[in-house]
Amino acid sequence: MATQLLTVSDLSAGTEDKPILHGIDLAVGAGECHVLMGPNGAGKSTLGHVIMGDPAYRVTGGRIEFDGADVTELSADKRSLAGIFLSYQAPVEVPGVPLYSFLRSICQMRPELKTTARKFRERVGAIADQLELDQGFLMRELNVGFSGGEKKKIEMLQLLLLQPKLAILDETDSGLDVDALGIVSRGIQAYREQVGGALIVITHNTRILERLEVDRTHVMVHGRMVAEGPAELIADIDKNGFERFEKCEDCGGCPMVGDAE
Amino acid sequence: MAEKDLAPELTLERVNVAPAQTWNRLRTNDITLTVPARGRKGDVYFSLPRLFEGVECGMGREVTDWVESQAADARYIEIPRGEKREEPIVVAVGAGEVADTGVMVRAGAEATIVVAAGAGEKNGEAGTSASLVRIIAEADARVHLHEYVGVGAAQQHLESVGISASRDARVDVHQYLLGGGTVALGFACDLAGERARVDLGCRYHAGGTEILDINEIVRQRGRNTRSELAYNGVLEDAARKGLRTTIDLVHGAKGAQGNEAETVLVLGDDVVNKTLPTILCDEDDVAGNHGATIGSVSPEQLAFLASRGLSRTDAEQLFVRALYEDALMHAPCPEARAVVENDTKGQSLCIIEEA
Amino acid sequence: MSDERKRTQVADVDRSLYDFTKSEEGYERYDDGLTPEIVRAISAKKDEPEWMLEMRLRALDLYHARPMAPNWGPSIEGLDLDHISTYVSPKTKQAKSWDDVPEDIKDTFERLGIPEAERESLAGVGAQYDSEIVYHNMREEVAEQGVIYTTIEDALHDPKWEPVVHEYFGTLIPPTDHKFAALHYAVWSGGSFVYVPAGVTLPYPLQSYFRLNAAGAGQFEHTLIIVEPGADLHFIEGCSAPKYYEANLHAGAVELFVKDGARLRYSTIENWSKNMYNLNTKRATIGADAKMEWVSGSFGSHVSYLYPTTIMAGDRGTCEFTGITFAGATQDLDTGCKVIMNGADTTASVSTKSISKDGGVNTFRSSVVIGRHADRARCSVSCQSLMLDDISRSDTIPAMDVRNATAQVGHEATIGRISDDTVLYLMSRGCSEAEARTLVVNGFANPVSKELPMEYAVEMNNLIKLEMEGAIG
Repeated sequence: MATQLLTVSDLSAGTEDKPILHGIDLAVGAGECHVLMGPNGAGKSTLGHVIMGDPAYRVTGGRIEFDGADVTELSADKRSLAGIFLSYQAPVEVPGVPLYSFLRSICQMRPELKTTARKFRERVGAIADQLELDQGFLMRELNVGFSGGEKKKIEMLQLLLLQPKLAILDETDSGLDVDALGIVSRGIQAYREQVGGALIVITHNTRILERLEVDRTHVMVHGRMVAEGPAELIADIDKNGFERFEKCEDCGGCPMVGDAE
Repeated sequence: MAEKDLAPELTLERVNVAPAQTWNRLRTNDITLTVPARGRKGDVYFSLPRLFEGVECGMGREVTDWVESQAADARYIEIPRGEKREEPIVVAVGAGEVADTGVMVRAGAEATIVVAAGAGEKNGEAGTSASLVRIIAEADARVHLHEYVGVGAAQQHLESVGISASRDARVDVHQYLLGGGTVALGFACDLAGERARVDLGCRYHAGGTEILDINEIVRQRGRNTRSELAYNGVLEDAARKGLRTTIDLVHGAKGAQGNEAETVLVLGDDVVNKTLPTILCDEDDVAGNHGATIGSVSPEQLAFLASRGLSRTDAEQLFVRALYEDALMHAPCPEARAVVENDTKGQSLCIIEEA
Repeated sequence: MSDERKRTQVADVDRSLYDFTKSEEGYERYDDGLTPEIVRAISAKKDEPEWMLEMRLRALDLYHARPMAPNWGPSIEGLDLDHISTYVSPKTKQAKSWDDVPEDIKDTFERLGIPEAERESLAGVGAQYDSEIVYHNMREEVAEQGVIYTTIEDALHDPKWEPVVHEYFGTLIPPTDHKFAALHYAVWSGGSFVYVPAGVTLPYPLQSYFRLNAAGAGQFEHTLIIVEPGADLHFIEGCSAPKYYEANLHAGAVELFVKDGARLRYSTIENWSKNMYNLNTKRATIGADAKMEWVSGSFGSHVSYLYPTTIMAGDRGTCEFTGITFAGATQDLDTGCKVIMNGADTTASVSTKSISKDGGVNTFRSSVVIGRHADRARCSVSCQSLMLDDISRSDTIPAMDVRNATAQVGHEATIGRISDDTVLYLMSRGCSEAEARTLVVNGFANPVSKELPMEYAVEMNNLIKLEMEGAIG
């Protein structure tokens, strides 16, 4: 077993007026690849955002430990600098800030990535080529007027640039055509190979997982973790859907399936 | 002190006046400026060809008259019919300098004009600089106008532009207003001919106790003319900004379209941000649109930028930095670059070694 | 070709519904012009307290001292105050029953549908004819809750309410505000005083209707409304006048005090005749957690200066302004609103529409001022202008002054015409072109009419139809 990187214990959280997550436990070891599945509205994205420290959500119980430190109270920028990365399902538009200025700034924040302008441009250029991103994008305003696929590629660009210890990919595959999907999944692979970082892939599409070696699979329903299992659980869900997990809700406690089978 | 030591001055009231006025008590209709007025008795002054008198300028007649009275000889440049002039026409003004420029871009010709104010200045220098540029773009002409203004905190700069655009002429304007004690900019563009078009991008930054006053007027007279005006600014500290924009859809301009949009980021607690975006419409077969967003960095943007490691302060500075980098990257000539590099704020951001 | 199709001449619209005059015979009409004698005579007739006479005389001095505002909006050169009678009164006492109202006046209001509306959907009605209120009545159950709805004149004669009027009158719109505010305070007459006690919610709206029958006269009514904490009121104001060739002047003042947690909706359907100079001043100040809603339909008058103002003094207040202005032939209407946001967490939204036709001129003018202490204030302004032909005009002049870094302001404005495609589409479904255009204009106005009580929405749609009629294909 790899050293523990992320430990979420008994985590409850929600928005100001609505609880969403209830007693979530999740453990991810360094370099591991986890998949988080579940039907729409299960709270998967919320969990990703809460781990990132999105101020839109309030933690009402439990804790989040990352890389040996309690980060439950830490602001998102500090968590980012500590090595957590969240790829947004819908990246936010930031008019007035060209992509280049943004990338340069987020790298200069990190001592390990600080470099000269020339070397930085080379690195960005190489990654952009890898993702088949035209370098003209660098002069355009961050996420403004980009198509869904382009936005996702730019998220991948940041992932490869920042080299986080943990990347949470929130539905990175949604709304992509086959070509873009291929490029994005190659990006994810590159991250695994070059950086060796851990992954939490939030998805309901198993296609993006085909090229990935998955260590653990987690299933969320109604804001609770209802199942955990090995990679094979994905194929099972692919075939049978989430119905049997959803049924569990009525009986109060949910059995841990997967391992038991 | 002897009276003759006092430099003669002139107060220009009601400068940068928008075509349509609103409540005086809002103090947003105009600006009053005090400028030096050297006596020029006995000097011989070479003025521009008479036809430039008919070109409406953004800061108004008074400023035009004053510039003509203070400038050394007017500079007249003509780009012959069909010729593409690669080398930019550069108007560089420093403290105390006043320039009067007229450019005639003949039919089908193309020219790049750069106004650079504050390129060679030392910080702390005081004085007033001014540039008046009048451009006549004949049919099918292409005009690229770049305005770079970054003067010292003790300085005042007046920048007045007037453009007349004939049939199928295209004008693109790139304004970078990076700061100065008082910067007043007026821009007027007359889309007189059919299908004439102006695309204007203005980026501004003001901090400290700087005053920035902008008045931009586009008259759409020709059929199917088009204007696209985009403003994007950051205000910090106790900066005071006034922006008046007017799209005038004149009777007869059938098929004309005018769009204007402004985004203002307010980062200082003592900022005063005034905006008067006017659309005048005297024609039915036209489309006029305006949009403005004024505020601080939105919570969604802050959360997103935080997830990439930027604190609120980092995020706010990113917007300022982006503006200066953009100015530097789009600088069309060394004089324009020098304005950015010479600017105190630009220097504090350490972007010079960057690009 | 399509250009030709649209440029049809429109005959003067049939306004017979509003356009009837009644004889002035036997009326009390004061001399034209403005002198201290006339002001004293008005005051004496109303048997006012001394402070009111003093205020009138002070205002008269201010009026004479003030120059006309230079370069302001539409010209009011046609207005000659020396030939406007500031006071015209029918010889009648204020009645509490329509049966006691003189026949010709009663007939006027019958034709405007006021008594019928009162029976069906109002909690109280006031009707002003020229300078005086001729009818005032309120449902008993509303009166029992302590609601006061009367004229300012009557309130001044009531020892209980005189101090209240004294405390509020002229404080929100001071006589020094502008030249026509000064004029108003010198010669004001008629209008309403409304007081809603804390916590009282009125089940139906109150309505005041203003009718200016006399030619060459002015109407200067004053409306003073106080809505105490937690109370809730909907007040409706209607105005109309027959058309004359002499200029008429309307320079009313509306002062609205909305206390903490209270709500006031103030709806206006204004249909003055097209010889009217409508230089009206309306202002509200609202407390913490209070809500001010303006619904404003401006159809009439020759020239209008009308910018209802909301001062958001308390925290968490909200203000909504919904307005429509229709400028037809010979009309030059400068309308809009002002919002001053001083409280934290205040919200304001302004949504206006304007329609210009037959050479009419519309100017939308607004100002939004967000003060230094208005943390997290949010404001959105949206104005849409519809041009129905190429001889009309529509200007949009919105000013914004933001002095708080945490405030958010959004503004959008669009100007355009009805697209040929839309008209063609509707015609392909069997509408005549005129019907199609009326349909589109009604749809454009719908966001405003849906804010009005049913009967008024119907009235507004009728007004639009009247204005659109004659636009034959």
